[in-house]
Amino acid sequence: MPAHPLRVAVVCSSNQNRSMEAHNILSKRGFDVRSFGTGTHVKLPGPAPDKPNIYDFKTTYEQMYNDLVRKDKELYTQNGILHMLDRNKRIKTQPERFQSCKEQFDLVITCEERVYDQVLEDLNSREQETFQPVHVINVDIQDNHEEATLGAFLICELCQCIQHTDDMENEMDELLQEFEEKSHRPFLHTVCFY
Amino acid sequence: MASDVREQAHGSVASQLHSSEEDRAFDMTTSEKVVELLNQAALISTEEKLIVLKQVQELIINKDPSLLDNFLDEIIAFQTDKSIEVRKFVIGFIEEACKRDCELLLRLIANLNMLMRDESVNVVKKAILTLSQLYKVALQWLVRTKSVSDMQEACWDMVTQLKEDVLALLDSDNDGVRTYAIKFTESLIITLSPRTPDSDTPKKQEGDISLDKIPKDHTYIRYDTLCDEGKLALEQLLKFMVHPAISSINLTAALGSLATLARQRPMFMSEVVQAYETLHANLPPTLAKSQVSSVRKNLKLHLVSVLKHPSSVDFQGQISTLLLDLGMSQSEISRCTPATVQPRKRLHHEPYVEGKRTKMVEDDDDKEEPAPVVTPKPSSSSGTQSSIDLTAEFLLPLLNPENVANLVLISMVYLPEVMPASFQATYTPVESAGTDAQIKHLARLMATQMTAAGLGPGLELCKARDEEVKEEDGGMGESSSKDPLIIRKLSAVSLGQAISVVGAQQAAYKSPVTEEAPQIKKLPEPILPTTQPKAPGASGRKKVFKLADVVQPFSEAQIEKLANMAIKRILQSEKAIAQSGMSHVRVKLLARLVTQFEGGKKNDLLQFILEDMRGRSELAFSLLFHEYNEYLGQQPSGSLDSYEHCLFTLLSGLQEKPEQRDGLFTKLVLEAPVITDSALEVIQRYCEDESRVYLGMSTLKELILKRPSRQYQYLNVLLNLSSHEKEKVRSTALSFIKRMYEKEHLKDCIEKFALTYMQFLVHPNPPSLLFGAGEDTEVAASWTEETVRQCLYLYLSLLPVNHCLVHELAAVYTEAIADIKRSVLRVIEQPIRGMGMSSPDLLLLVENCPKGAETLVTRCLHILTDKVPPSPELVERVRDLYHKRVPDVRFLIPVINGLEKNEVIQALPKLIKLNPIVVKEVFNRLLGTQHSEGSPSMSPLTPGELLIALHNIDSSKCDMKSIIKATNLCFGEKNVYTSEVLAVVMQQLMEQTPLPILLMRTVIQSLTMYPRLAGFVMNILARLIHKQVWKYPKVWEGFVKCCQRTKPQSYNVLLQLPPPQLASVFERCPEMREPLLQHVHAFTPHQVHSIQAHIPASVMAVLEANSRKPEPEPQPELHHPEIIEEREVCCDEAEVATDLFFCFVMYIRV
Repeated sequence: MPAHPLRVAVVCSSNQNRSMEAHNILSKRGFDVRSFGTGTHVKLPGPAPDKPNIYDFKTTYEQMYNDLVRKDKELYTQNGILHMLDRNKRIKTQPERFQSCKEQFDLVITCEERVYDQVLEDLNSREQETFQPVHVINVDIQDNHEEATLGAFLICELCQCIQHTDDMENEMDELLQEFEEKSHRPFLHTVCFY
Repeated sequence: MASDVREQAHGSVASQLHSSEEDRAFDMTTSEKVVELLNQAALISTEEKLIVLKQVQELIINKDPSLLDNFLDEIIAFQTDKSIEVRKFVIGFIEEACKRDCELLLRLIANLNMLMRDESVNVVKKAILTLSQLYKVALQWLVRTKSVSDMQEACWDMVTQLKEDVLALLDSDNDGVRTYAIKFTESLIITLSPRTPDSDTPKKQEGDISLDKIPKDHTYIRYDTLCDEGKLALEQLLKFMVHPAISSINLTAALGSLATLARQRPMFMSEVVQAYETLHANLPPTLAKSQVSSVRKNLKLHLVSVLKHPSSVDFQGQISTLLLDLGMSQSEISRCTPATVQPRKRLHHEPYVEGKRTKMVEDDDDKEEPAPVVTPKPSSSSGTQSSIDLTAEFLLPLLNPENVANLVLISMVYLPEVMPASFQATYTPVESAGTDAQIKHLARLMATQMTAAGLGPGLELCKARDEEVKEEDGGMGESSSKDPLIIRKLSAVSLGQAISVVGAQQAAYKSPVTEEAPQIKKLPEPILPTTQPKAPGASGRKKVFKLADVVQPFSEAQIEKLANMAIKRILQSEKAIAQSGMSHVRVKLLARLVTQFEGGKKNDLLQFILEDMRGRSELAFSLLFHEYNEYLGQQPSGSLDSYEHCLFTLLSGLQEKPEQRDGLFTKLVLEAPVITDSALEVIQRYCEDESRVYLGMSTLKELILKRPSRQYQYLNVLLNLSSHEKEKVRSTALSFIKRMYEKEHLKDCIEKFALTYMQFLVHPNPPSLLFGAGEDTEVAASWTEETVRQCLYLYLSLLPVNHCLVHELAAVYTEAIADIKRSVLRVIEQPIRGMGMSSPDLLLLVENCPKGAETLVTRCLHILTDKVPPSPELVERVRDLYHKRVPDVRFLIPVINGLEKNEVIQALPKLIKLNPIVVKEVFNRLLGTQHSEGSPSMSPLTPGELLIALHNIDSSKCDMKSIIKATNLCFGEKNVYTSEVLAVVMQQLMEQTPLPILLMRTVIQSLTMYPRLAGFVMNILARLIHKQVWKYPKVWEGFVKCCQRTKPQSYNVLLQLPPPQLASVFERCPEMREPLLQHVHAFTPHQVHSIQAHIPASVMAVLEANSRKPEPEPQPELHHPEIIEEREVCCDEAEVATDLFFCFVMYIRV
């Protein structure tokens, strides 16, 4: 087992629901975890599917919370958005964009294929320097509260298993195969280098 | 630099750093601080130690490099720390230190060398990363140095050695290590190749050394050597990529490295694109489905990044084709294609490749292939590249529909059984099939495969050309002329291992390779070591411990032996394990182990089980189930052989063992998942064993009832046993079948079987299957009593249950030969009796009586009426039959007592004409003198009436002889025909007019039997005189004879005759006259008076007149009158035959 805790990044598109749920659980389990979004903006559901609430990554969770309370407290209480934001602001102040973060990780977990593609594109477009590898794994999670919770547990289990391997890179392939069988979902997996 | 970043995360370290202004003031304290920190570090826990050491590093490298030298040894001492992280830190420190001061390389490179061989892979990985950096540092440092010292030379030698070691790690067993080695190779190739203006170099690496910065006239560093090393590294990387069992992560890493290479060193663009092409067509079959998608995603990403590079212009066609195949739309591709490109990039490469040779190749190109070459290739394109093009050119016109269809058909044979995940993922329906573009693409795909396999005209051409070049080159540097050769050899080897999904040609030539089972799991073997890990070199470095190097694989025989011994030990530990209560584990283990092995062990275990089957039944069952499981696991191609062998051995063992009565056999049979044919044979043998027939058949019965899917097969076994030669087996089988016959769904089958067997009887010879498989069948064997019975056992046992079947018997009977008929008649008694005469079907049979089955019907009637009187229904049917269809009087016999009196009388003439034995039977029935002790049947005729009826038979209907015989039969029954009965008969006969011919015969017979009837007879005679008996010549004859016999009592009767008749008497018997005369003379006077008064003179005259004629005339016919003698029987011979047969019918007893 590596002496230092696994440095994990959990990435979804808006750094609100899926990545934050996983962030929440992983940090409770003692992981060195950060969460990100890859979108250009932070999008939250609005009064209609075609009218989402759009913020930039500088807006804090607190500000979003207040904004939504002002707009329609009942609606956003009912659909759980306020609850989610409330949880998020306890974890960190504001959403972060993966592309803007220069910190290095051992493991990046993405929550949908599109995000995975964006992460890969970003990592590959960076100039390689140290050749320190980073494993990127995609776990498809639908963007709703229930799936986010289930997905977060799956991610957590995965991270724990990886953390407990003696030689993560040698055992990763096999581990993922096992997880695929167990969870009946395919994982995209690749390695990039810093 | 990794440590840099990490440090930023640790605020505690940063806070202890001091700003530069304070540097001088704290000069002393820095040194002191370092000492203090180092002292601390020796004592504290790993985590804190790391923090402290990082502080030290910061202090002596960045803050005050002058201290570096002082504390170097202290820090390096931590390289033996037991913590991996600390050792990794030391590596990081070495890197930083060397970057800071290149001279330190001299001292530290050996430490790096040591850490490179660390037992922890994580340390090794870190060392590889560091070497990537330090290789460049070392090279730069040496290039800068004008005169290289011995120390530096030694240092560089070690660096070179380390480089080789890391390249060798491409073959490491560890996936992660291989990944790091790939990245190292990438970096090495970049360094050892020249940067060109179109190189896409990251800003941070602007200052890095590369081949173009190395002076060709350096005293120590050889430009050519480095150049070759770079190319070699590229070859190794390319070779690594095409390994069929490459892991998905390694492949991903290698793909990325290639993209980097293509962008930073566009001169390699061609190799990279070609490698991508090959990979795309040959995705490793070991990849799982999701891995295939990951790899394809990566391939797409990297292709796009390569495409974006301006130098990709010559390869845009190939790249777009690949991207299209990977699912990218044409518009997306165009978006990624650089808009304005300088047409001739290749000019920029020229400084790299040795000018002279390049030109020659180009010249050759121009001369030898003037027209056909598609696009002007970059000059750096290798031999393989152009041979692919050539082969594709060559193939293009050949790809007409017919050839393609043939290729497809041929390749069908080589398709793997399971579709590889890679194929499944990559397959997209060919939209543009048949278009020129698609055919070109196909030709190119095939050319890639063929070239890789070392085939095709392109390759030949290139080889020839290369030869020429080589010759022309003459004294050229060896390294450069070797180049294309190496590439070719390499690709031939490596692609031999690639598994082709598309290329039929390759499969055809490399069939042993394609048989490699497509495994989804991990690498079966690490990459084949082509470059052996080097033997401990002059530098005296330690050899890495590798288990594989020091152990020898066991030989097959040894493995076998060890496995056998292991299993034996488990076997023998039975008691010990039983005591520990873990026998279920042992059982499971044994079963599992043995199932996986072939042959010997299995037999050993089976033998072991059979030694104490009762005690080891659990093991037996476990083994059996495992075998079956194994079979299921191999579906659909699995074979039951192994399972069958197991079941067969167990069952046979049980069967052969005497005295195994605890039902284990039954249990085994009933719990076996499948009963195989051979097992069924054992069951059959078991059933044939007289001592266990019941158990065997109960088992069989259970099978039939509880395994409906194959119940007919099991039933058949039981049915076959029903004609078994052993009586016990047969009767048990029959009783089981009879019980099963009640089951509606089995009924048909059983019935069919019984009838089929019976049908055999119509064949001229018994079918061979009656003799069992063992006996050598003589084809023309004839029917025997036994074989006939064999065909009938089952049928006959069913008959009493299902009466309808009787009609089938009749049908068969009519067609069978006489011998069989006889046998049939013999065996049907029991079942027919069982059916009883009230059976509607039997009655129907009697009513219909098929032609040819008369004897059968008769036999049935006899059987039915043997002990009991016939029922009115039966009588009715028989009567009907007799009158309307078959006027054979013999039918009537069995039911004769059921007929009306007049019917019997009517039939009598015919009846008595039959064979004497039959007639006797008839009389027995009529007279109630049957040998049965059952209720006496009520005859329609009293004995008297019968006798009278006999006398009254019209002589035109029946010859006298038969009648006489019949009456004799009556007289034979003394018990019935008592004197009283006879008296009544005589009385009645005498009163008839005309007198029955046989009257006097009967009188005489009666008299003979009962002499005391003489008085009565005299009376009769006297009355006959009144009836003028002399008018009936035959009767008269008898009358005379009777008188003769009854003299002297008859004298008085004679005297009552009228004189002419008396004379007639004397004519017939002259010897009577004298005694009669004397009788008259002897009358007492008193008598004379009374009698003489009655003796007319005429009578006296007759008496006396003839007294002078003394000579007696012997009259032979009186002594042997025809009517009285009954011995001879004259019938024609045919009559005799049928009658005899008929007698037989009546008297046979089973």
